[in-house]
Amino acid sequence: MVMAEEEESGVSIQLEFPKGRVKKIMALDKDVKRVSSEALFLVSRSTELFLQFLAEKSAQVAIEKKRKTVNLEHIREAVKRHQPTRDFLLDELPPPSQPTKPDRPTQPAGRPKLDPPPRGTRRIDLFFRKPELDDPAQAQPPENPAQAQPPENPDQDQAQSPVPVDES
Amino acid sequence: MEDSIGGSSSNDNNIIKEQDRLLPIANVGRLMKQILPQNAKISKEAKETMQECVSEFISFVTSEASEKCRKERRKTVNGDDICWALATLGFDDYAEPMRRKSRTKIQEASTNQNDLC
Repeated sequence: MVMAEEEESGVSIQLEFPKGRVKKIMALDKDVKRVSSEALFLVSRSTELFLQFLAEKSAQVAIEKKRKTVNLEHIREAVKRHQPTRDFLLDELPPPSQPTKPDRPTQPAGRPKLDPPPRGTRRIDLFFRKPELDDPAQAQPPENPAQAQPPENPDQDQAQSPVPVDES
Repeated sequence: MEDSIGGSSSNDNNIIKEQDRLLPIANVGRLMKQILPQNAKISKEAKETMQECVSEFISFVTSEASEKCRKERRKTVNGDDICWALATLGFDDYAEPMRRKSRTKIQEASTNQNDLC
């Protein structure tokens, strides 16, 4: 199925793709009635060149992203970078899916993103804050420092938050 | 020198096998491996995508060339049409080197009384 061709220098080159299969793909176009052997050769050869070009660009993208395996995302990026290829091929590629292992982790590895806490949960730092007063006038310190009296119950602040009791 | 390709039975029944629509994945994979660095790997998904890409490329170029033939009321797509299509679609850097090679092939074929197809 492989068709041998010769260059001007006399060195033979081989077409990588079977001409019968190339012909069948061309025949999918209903308008195509007859194809010359020269046209078939040119289509096969240009397809090889296109594949080599796209593989090379995809490999470059993979190297940029520090990956050893060329995958679909690298091909998509290579297609985007070449205008003529993008014009006819970008819409034909499968839609981008959410990668399970992204090329660059968006979240630092040490601090995973947690789910939001359930309603009614209080932050722990509220425990250490002074209770805020509704009246802003009361929040001002008294003019005479001697009038400032300590709270009658020194454990009053702590009494507001329940302390677990070990029943055992 | 010409191939009639319009009337295949699979087209008449509107049933196109998947393997007839795509180039062989082994050939695609082999050609990709030749281009990539030695230690590089290719995912199966990438090979399958590349299969689709090259088939789409063939259809794209063929469609443009056959449209030119239709406008000029010709039935046979020839090498000039393919080169014109490649240039029109932005792949003109492929066209000329292949054109020179192709001319040599045709001359050799006619000398040896061998048909390329």
